Amino acid sequence: MAEWTEISATARQSDGKGAARAVRREGRVPAVIYGDKKDPTPISLEHKELWQQIRIGQFLSTIYVVNVDGEATRVIPRDIQMDPVRDFPIHVDFLRLGEGARIAVEVPVSFINEEESPGLKRGGVLNIVRHTIELRCLAEAIPEQLEADLTGLDIGDSLHVSAITLPEDVELTISDRDFTIATVAGRMAEIVDEVEEEEGLEGEEGEEGEEGEEGVEGEEGGEE
Amino acid sequence: MLQPKRTKFRKAQKGRIKGVAKGGFTLNFGSYGLKAQEPARITARQIEAARRAMTRQMKRAGRVWIRIFPDVPVSKKPTEVRMGKGKGTPEFWAAKVKPGRIMFEIDGVSDTVAREALRLGAAKLPVRTRVVARLGEN
Repeated sequence: MAEWTEISATARQSDGKGAARAVRREGRVPAVIYGDKKDPTPISLEHKELWQQIRIGQFLSTIYVVNVDGEATRVIPRDIQMDPVRDFPIHVDFLRLGEGARIAVEVPVSFINEEESPGLKRGGVLNIVRHTIELRCLAEAIPEQLEADLTGLDIGDSLHVSAITLPEDVELTISDRDFTIATVAGRMAEIVDEVEEEEGLEGEEGEEGEEGEEGVEGEEGGEE
Repeated sequence: MLQPKRTKFRKAQKGRIKGVAKGGFTLNFGSYGLKAQEPARITARQIEAARRAMTRQMKRAGRVWIRIFPDVPVSKKPTEVRMGKGKGTPEFWAAKVKPGRIMFEIDGVSDTVAREALRLGAAKLPVRTRVVARLGEN
């Protein structure tokens, strides 16, 4: 993560929801840069450029350089507000990063060696409890991802955070307990469901038929 | 089919579905989800039909999460009964869904299977929907 992606932005003159909506009507996304003991700076970003960065993934754990009218600021996105229905960004919060800043950041977990897990080989299902883990580390040394090794995991076993090797100078924000990252669940519940499903289908068809007949009889009776 | 174990009142007023989802609009469990694009009352039967369609397509691999629960009793009067004389008897249970709500989530299957399963599940529902994926996976 040595190279930082640059995002171009323009300063906003006014803040508040009216001004933010005006910015959105122009096809831009309102945002703010805050932190590092400086005043917050309201900015706006190009929607297309921002959306491309979000779609790549790991947006909240990537450092960017925001170029506000020629002035470059090193930032990390802290929050994205998305439209609940159509999923486009409506606002972004950026945290200004000073020299040697230590930050808490959510890092994605990738699961490796699925084929080495006897539980998954036997048809078990990997149940991911946490897709990301919150770490505290230097802004310059945010790991791209953490690797969780599934080797030897059988059905009913679970993988805890203690099984993940953290890079140097990186610590967990939750340090008081060994929380679960993933479990390997059996298919028993699913099989029971399926059996019930098949029985249910037969039963329901029968019931529906009976109900239908009754309904017809009832209507006929009513007409008479 | 899903229904509450016990309720405080047998019958409920109809109400209106206004606005967009205030919560439950992001993926919380799986990598793929089915998002409602319009408001609707989804019955327990429709939820069950969608779940079956999805699990069949996934051939029992992976996992399905249902993020809505039918907790509204819907009553109906019998046919050819005059108006009045009180509210009808509860016939079925329904979930009130606002636009943006993630109704189902899927994980543990490939992208193609997940999208096809959600498409088949969506066909059982009375709302326009959209398949959403965890960012970086689509």
